[in-house]
Amino acid sequence: MYDDIKNNENMPVRLKGVGDSLWVSINPLLPVDRLQNELIKPFERLKHLAINARVIIDPGDHKNCDKLIEELGNFLKTKFQVGHVSKPNAIKRSVNKNRIRQQDMGNSWHHYRSDVLMIAGRVRSGQKIETKKHLLVLGDLNPGAELIAGGDIIIMGSLKGKASAGQPDKEDTIIMALEFRPTQIQIGGFVAAGIPDTSGKKPEFAFIENNAIVVDDYIKNNPFSRLAWPEVR
Amino acid sequence: MEGKVIVVTSGKGGVGKTTVTASIGAALAMQGKRVAVVDMDIGLRNLDVVMGLENRVVFNIVDIIKGKCKLKQAAIKDRRIENLFLIPASQSDDKNAIKPENMVWLANKMRKEYDVTLLDCPAGIEQGFKNSIVAADEAVVVCTPEVSAVRDADRIIGLLYAQSITPKLIVNRIVPKMVENGDMLSHEDVVEVLSIDLIGLIEMDDRVVVSTNTGTPLVLQNDSKAGKALTRIAMRLDGHPDLAIENPMAQKGFWKKIGLKLSRKN
Repeated sequence: MYDDIKNNENMPVRLKGVGDSLWVSINPLLPVDRLQNELIKPFERLKHLAINARVIIDPGDHKNCDKLIEELGNFLKTKFQVGHVSKPNAIKRSVNKNRIRQQDMGNSWHHYRSDVLMIAGRVRSGQKIETKKHLLVLGDLNPGAELIAGGDIIIMGSLKGKASAGQPDKEDTIIMALEFRPTQIQIGGFVAAGIPDTSGKKPEFAFIENNAIVVDDYIKNNPFSRLAWPEVR
Repeated sequence: MEGKVIVVTSGKGGVGKTTVTASIGAALAMQGKRVAVVDMDIGLRNLDVVMGLENRVVFNIVDIIKGKCKLKQAAIKDRRIENLFLIPASQSDDKNAIKPENMVWLANKMRKEYDVTLLDCPAGIEQGFKNSIVAADEAVVVCTPEVSAVRDADRIIGLLYAQSITPKLIVNRIVPKMVENGDMLSHEDVVEVLSIDLIGLIEMDDRVVVSTNTGTPLVLQNDSKAGKALTRIAMRLDGHPDLAIENPMAQKGFWKKIGLKLSRKN
């Protein structure tokens, strides 16, 4: 709903939901009446959701904005009947750039819409699950069954059927299973068939390296353990 | 109390559906139930031959549905086993002669007439299969320890679940010696893939061929391992669900047997 507002860094007022409150980022250098005018639009869109809402007004890195926050808070209270208005908790914000980035990411998870289709149960022969998202199966994939995903495929069970990840052409995707015994796998445009039985029941994953599908031990060579911090995939 | 309709199915052909149907039917009848077995393989009937009743077929299931005869007229009474009846398939029609709604109607009639109705489902997942499962209350899936049979059974199980029927599994034609040598899937392997309740394990038995060719019920032969296993399956299906499942084992010498018993205690 607020994507257009949130994504534009130059907007004088940005609004997003954080936990049970509304986080309003403002540019405190702008005049008060300009800010008030900018606040009207997003709060009108909220309609009844604004009533009694907790609002946090965030002036960014600028200091000494308490008066401005109070003024805007009173404005919101009278015009939209919001509940509690405060400034951001000082501890939450850190000067360290790196920390700020992580903090932002942490917040972004709260309202991140899922890119994963999560399914529980056994996928049997003749059944086919198709999705444009990542696919997570809590169960087994029997011989003759088929999974097709636009992103990664993670199977918390044994993979004995056919799995196609990164369809049609996403080659940086993986296929992972706790027991990796597929009849055939595809990643992007690559196909691998008749992958030999490796040392049995251990988590393995397939990925593309040098234009070929490679299968590796997931515990020993976890491809994501090298990432600097958790990120949305 | 109304009777129940049980479909015996497998997906793949030649895994022993017809033999299992005939034997469970006979076993249940011998336990005092009023049992009807219905051949659903219209156009390729053979349950009548397996039961040794082929020369007494007058009317068939298509005649009942078309109203040419009554249910009781078409049901052939077995002479050796009391309370066992066969409703044969038509040999001249094809599977489209019956529609699912006809089967629902027939099944309702059968429930009033018999304690247990066993449907011998044809192989495949086409009209004959659909006709068989639409009216069934319970399902028994027969599977042999072969990869191809397991895959077809898996598909069938998916289709049965889609009809809100929870099937039970019979693993047929186990050769314990081959399983021991690792040349055949064990029943554990089959159950691992299919993951449904096991209701019986049947060992490979040459007597089945004799029984089929002569039309004598397997369960009447006292020395048949398969017959005994099927009798126990029939008991589990009706009234004794907790009866232990016997695992077919390779015949061993006297001393080996004793060694096994000793080692089990430790």
